[in-house]
Amino acid sequence: MNKILRKVKRAWQIMGQVNRERAVGMLEFELKELENIFTLLILGGFVGMPSPPAPIAIELLPLLEREMAVMLNRSDFAQDPIGALMGILEVD
Amino acid sequence: MHSNAFFLGKGGVGKTTLSAAFGLSLARSGKKVLVASLDPAHNLGDVYRTRLNDKPTAVEPNLDALEVDLAAWVQKYLDESRRELKTTYSYAGTLNLDSFFDIMKYSPGTEEYAVLWAIEHIHCDLAADYDVVVFDTPPTALSLRFLAMPAISNLWVAELAKLRERILDRRTSITRINPESAVAASCVDKDDDKVYGRLGSIRKRLSALQNLFSKESYVAVVINPDHLSVSEALRIQEELLKIDIPLSGLCVNKRGVSKADWSLDRKLSGIRAFDFDFLPGGLHEREDLRTIGTEALVADFLASGPKGRS
Repeated sequence: MNKILRKVKRAWQIMGQVNRERAVGMLEFELKELENIFTLLILGGFVGMPSPPAPIAIELLPLLEREMAVMLNRSDFAQDPIGALMGILEVD
Repeated sequence: MHSNAFFLGKGGVGKTTLSAAFGLSLARSGKKVLVASLDPAHNLGDVYRTRLNDKPTAVEPNLDALEVDLAAWVQKYLDESRRELKTTYSYAGTLNLDSFFDIMKYSPGTEEYAVLWAIEHIHCDLAADYDVVVFDTPPTALSLRFLAMPAISNLWVAELAKLRERILDRRTSITRINPESAVAASCVDKDDDKVYGRLGSIRKRLSALQNLFSKESYVAVVINPDHLSVSEALRIQEELLKIDIPLSGLCVNKRGVSKADWSLDRKLSGIRAFDFDFLPGGLHEREDLRTIGTEALVADFLASGPKGRS
């Protein structure tokens, strides 16, 4: 009986976690976009975009490891941002 | 009395000579004075007949002078950034950071920032030993760029800080809803976020410099009695107004050097003008600086400032 109860509890927890992850999916997508924009704004000067003076970018660069990884990751599906958004919204 | 004086103007109008004469006059009136040359093509040491370097050197009692080494400031900054970057991105050694940083010294904005770092160093580390710091500036183009840099950079930093707040806000929401999210491992709090903290410290440094230029400094433009330098003075006035730096004085140097017609533009007539005659014999010794006659300018400087006290 205890075993069954444990399994039901575990299933309930998994369902809760799945729902939580679905709930934050859109927020995580927006967060990655914001982090991507933030990094692009700072490093844009190196690829010809308007950006703050280079010394400010250099000063912030050592602190942007996570954002740099996000930016490089985003560039993988830069050609299909709508597709990525539709994936999050589960539109087939 | 203000604690700083800046002499701006077109190349060759006599900024260094007037800065040196002004500093000497103030020092002999009993003030402890540091004269700092920010011009990459220094000749302050030649005017004072003293060998100068980037540390304060005594010229005479109450008067020290230095010539800022901008190239050394750029190198120092790049070396510090290179060290910090190598620590964070140690795995990226193959990117050849050294060659990247060698190019950075030619990047737009780097020279202006080097001037700002030098001024910040003088203001924070040296100025406490002096009553007045007199800055002899580079020609107009570079001077206007470094004077405007704190205001322009702060606009960028303010926008970046706003965006960073939004990022931290989203991270907080995600972490609250789903503590298991990978985002929860990253920083969610403004006080702990190093990027937000660094933006804050950059903003603080730039605001302090902006405040120094606009509120704690006596800014004088040096012109010659000719149309070119008057036109440049007008441009300086317009640019400085945009960044809230008021002009305190107008130094008309080399009066009598030419008989050509010239007139002071009406837009400059609201600024107190001081005349300095052309010295046909030139300057040969430090004592010759006394013949320039900076008493009226010094008196105006001593009476200047938020409370007009000396």
